Amino acid sequence: MLTQMRFEGPTYNIRSRRTPSKLPARHLFALRINANHSSALLRSYIEDFRAQHYQYESHREIFMAAPSSATDTGLISLRDLIDFISHVSDCYPDICKDFPQQLIDMLMQHHLVLETELREKLVGSLVLLKKKDIIDSERLLHTLFPILVSTPSKTLRALLFQKILSELRTANSKTTNHKLNRTMQTVLFNLVTSDRTSAKGLWAIKITRELWKRQIWTEAKAVEVMKEAALSENEKVVVGGVRFFLGGDKEREELEDESSDDEVNVGQVKHQLTINKKTRKKARAAEKAIKSARNKEKKKGQPNVMLNFSALHLLHDPQGFSENMFFKHLQNGKSKLNLEQKLLVLQLVSRLVGLHQLHIMPLYSYFQKFLTPRQPSVTSFLASLAQATHDLVPPDVLEPLVQKIANEFVSEASAGQVATAGLNAIREICVRQPLAMDETLLQDLVMYKKSKDKGVMMASKGLLSLYRDVGAQMLKKRDRGKEAAMSLRAGERSERRFGEQAVGQIEGLELLARYKDEERRKKNIEKGLPSDAEDDEDNEEDNWDAWNVEDDSDDDVDGEWINVEDDADINLSDSDDEGKSRPSKKTKQEGEEQKDGEKSKAEEEIDFLKLATTRILTPADLAKLAELRAEAAAEATLPGNKGRVAAPWTSRHTDDPLTANEIEGLAALSAAKATREERIAHAKEGQTDRSEHKSKEARKKERKEQEGKSTTNKEKARKHKPFLMSLGKAKSKNKRSLKDVSRALKAHHDRGKRGGKRGNLGTTVGPSR
Amino acid sequence: MGNSSKRKKEKAKDFQKPKLKVGKTKAKPDNYTDTTFKSKSIVLTQQSLHLAAPTSNATFTHNLSLLAAKSDTQRRDSLAYLTTTISSRPVNSPLPQPVSVILPSLLPLILDASANVRTQLLKLLKTLPEGDVEDHVGQLLPYVRAGMTHLAADIRSSAVDILSWMVEAAGESTVSCAGGWIKTLNCFLSVLGWHTDESARWSSSRASFGKAGSQGKPMVKTLGALSEFLEAGIGKPAVKDVEMSDDETSWPYPLCQTEHHMISESSTPFAYLNLSGQPRDEEGEMYETREDRFRVFSSRFHPAMERGLKSAREEGGELGRASSSVTKVLKEAIAYGAGP
Repeated sequence: MLTQMRFEGPTYNIRSRRTPSKLPARHLFALRINANHSSALLRSYIEDFRAQHYQYESHREIFMAAPSSATDTGLISLRDLIDFISHVSDCYPDICKDFPQQLIDMLMQHHLVLETELREKLVGSLVLLKKKDIIDSERLLHTLFPILVSTPSKTLRALLFQKILSELRTANSKTTNHKLNRTMQTVLFNLVTSDRTSAKGLWAIKITRELWKRQIWTEAKAVEVMKEAALSENEKVVVGGVRFFLGGDKEREELEDESSDDEVNVGQVKHQLTINKKTRKKARAAEKAIKSARNKEKKKGQPNVMLNFSALHLLHDPQGFSENMFFKHLQNGKSKLNLEQKLLVLQLVSRLVGLHQLHIMPLYSYFQKFLTPRQPSVTSFLASLAQATHDLVPPDVLEPLVQKIANEFVSEASAGQVATAGLNAIREICVRQPLAMDETLLQDLVMYKKSKDKGVMMASKGLLSLYRDVGAQMLKKRDRGKEAAMSLRAGERSERRFGEQAVGQIEGLELLARYKDEERRKKNIEKGLPSDAEDDEDNEEDNWDAWNVEDDSDDDVDGEWINVEDDADINLSDSDDEGKSRPSKKTKQEGEEQKDGEKSKAEEEIDFLKLATTRILTPADLAKLAELRAEAAAEATLPGNKGRVAAPWTSRHTDDPLTANEIEGLAALSAAKATREERIAHAKEGQTDRSEHKSKEARKKERKEQEGKSTTNKEKARKHKPFLMSLGKAKSKNKRSLKDVSRALKAHHDRGKRGGKRGNLGTTVGPSR
Repeated sequence: MGNSSKRKKEKAKDFQKPKLKVGKTKAKPDNYTDTTFKSKSIVLTQQSLHLAAPTSNATFTHNLSLLAAKSDTQRRDSLAYLTTTISSRPVNSPLPQPVSVILPSLLPLILDASANVRTQLLKLLKTLPEGDVEDHVGQLLPYVRAGMTHLAADIRSSAVDILSWMVEAAGESTVSCAGGWIKTLNCFLSVLGWHTDESARWSSSRASFGKAGSQGKPMVKTLGALSEFLEAGIGKPAVKDVEMSDDETSWPYPLCQTEHHMISESSTPFAYLNLSGQPRDEEGEMYETREDRFRVFSSRFHPAMERGLKSAREEGGELGRASSSVTKVLKEAIAYGAGP
């Protein structure tokens, strides 16, 4: 009876919730019957349900008298009763109005002593009640969360954590549930701030991090929770909070990439559907695939759906936060953190300092005592120091540090790796604050470019090329290079002053300007005007049409295509900043060199500044800009362009962290450290794929093998027949008489005429098999 | 040949003798299995064998523990043993174990699947001294109620039997203990199927849930128990009260209240305060006086009861006759009204 009833209630319920339009006629009929009889049906079972409810009530009473004792009394256990009632409780709301509260009480008061299965059943039933909208998610979370924090049982914690997360995810699935998020964030915030010494804050961190990763929480409040966690007294909590700031955003991006990777090929799915056996499951899968593809199409049209700021940017009062962190965890003698944890904190603080251009003066003197080659994981310290440098740090604070690094690390006597690390660190500091270097030291360090150690040599050259760019007058004359020396002589370069700000610009705008210029010229040529005639802005309508990114052109193509010119003739030159002046290769090919040659740099600079100041960049423009930038970046990685890529500091985004590996530089790749595979991979980095030069047949074969498809019989025969098997025949063929040979040839010829062994005649009728 | 020498070497490896070293333990053989284990506690399942026969007290305790045995014959036999031990003890001698010890192991048996066990249980319960039962009614009642709403009709009917025994043995405390009045009445209505208008009609399948019992006439029995229960709860109070009022006139002022200043007779005089228990709702509340019970009854149960009785009467036969006893109790109670 119990089982019967179990099915009766829910089936009705499921049917009634479906919309009729999706159901086939048969189901529709059933639905109508149910709609008519639903209330009668429920009423006819009400006595039975009431009896079960009383049964539950008395079992609950028995249980509450002794919660820890076994619940398996008689035929039915309390667990089954709870299961049953929670499944049908939405059909009898008046009888079950106290039911959720009773479950909550049971769980909250006795979760420590409850039998595990019953405990899990209680949690599951509560979640089920939430799904049926009998309790709201706030109530559910307010029940589950305190238990999560307080229970000593690992399995229960895992279960609760998973349930809480999925609850928050479903609550935010359609639209962001701001109210719920806010209350939950407040609860987490209070958890972290209420008792700073306890490890309970870890749960707040876990939840926040998970939701941040899934982009469900992207607000400043969530960051605030993590900020408080980072300022906690408990080491674990501190490390959890710090790790979030250091890696949370990357994690988020990775997840996003992953989710966008696993797209299904709609065509393939459709094709498979026509061939394979048609089951409902497969139909559903196909429908899902098509739906997701459609959604993706839709998303493509919408501009910047996911514009999420990184946690570091959402921080409120970064100066106060990083000061607190520094004085509490690093400068404080009583801090319990070990070196590894301190390094993490230091990384975060220095990252914040660099990113927000903060001023924490004691930070730099703090570094002083760690800058020796014997210090464990000194490269991390060096990286942190470089990160903490920005162009508003007074040079006199940095100068002693640079001096110390040079003294301690860079000498003829020190090992190559050590010197490399030192030089790289100095370079990274000077990229951010060129004024930290003094002239004699620089000239001294540049001399290491003649070193026999490759790492040292490269590092020194890096420093040299940096100063050619930012402070050529500090270098010796012969080190300056052609470009820098000429511009120095022309007086174009002035010495950078402390605190001087460069004119702001949009990255890659010159590319756009050049592209536009070119387009205009093409159009003019089409019209028959002189190529450099001014575009008098008459085609306003065209401009309005081009306001948005046109989507129809490459709808069927997955992803963006970047035009990489693989046969670009390489334009080598020593100068670093010629990206601006170098005209795109295409223009040359089209034979329009008459202009570009003469165009001076100054003129062009004005051109793109004009573009930025006089025009509003449309979404179409911005899209084009992004494309051009990607193109330029792809071009730069081609093997011939190595010389130009040598300045990694120009390509670094301010949000990206500086790692210890970068400080170690080439030493990390040196023979002692890298495995063979790594070295091979490194050597292959710039090379193009050789497999492109294979024959068509070979490529086809490879592809087939990769897809796990079979080969033709011919191919099999070629592959597998051992030569010994055919040896006898080959020998006997040689010994044939002339007559036999001619007969065989004739037979072959005839066979060819007939159309093979079977012949063409038989095909229309075909032998019955 | 290289190959064969290699094989020879391999073969030789198989039959190598392990080297024994002085001062070292012998090397373990290849097929050695580690049989050591760690355990927090080790239970030795061993019979305790004694020369002397166990005392009757020890056997009693042993049989008490056997009540949780898996096989139902074992349970039944243990119950039978306990019953004979209790009933055959000398008059006025105490029980081998106090009721508070015996009862917790008896309670789950109310819901036992085997009919034999349940009948034996009722026999055992009837041998318990009534005064002791009175204090444990609160423990018994949840199990009885669970039995009354059980899916199996047999268990329902035996639970009703136990309830009628309880009313007989300790009527006052049965109706006045926590949850004893409303919840039990609810169970009665549910067993009889009298809750709603529709279900009380004769045409609807009454008491439909669960399998039909093998012991016939469950309704009749239930109605009998209901009448006893109502009698205990809201029946006309005993004549004792009248005598009390006589005493009041016979004694002068301070002495007539002596009873109120004495130590209470019941074991838990302040149970109604519920100092250490769960907070109670309306249904779980104690209704200690007849007025309270009558008020609750007339507001909650009277209409449903009347309706059910009417349909039972209309059905006639044995059921109709049984219903008339309930009707009689009800009439008397209403005639007596809310109280003096």
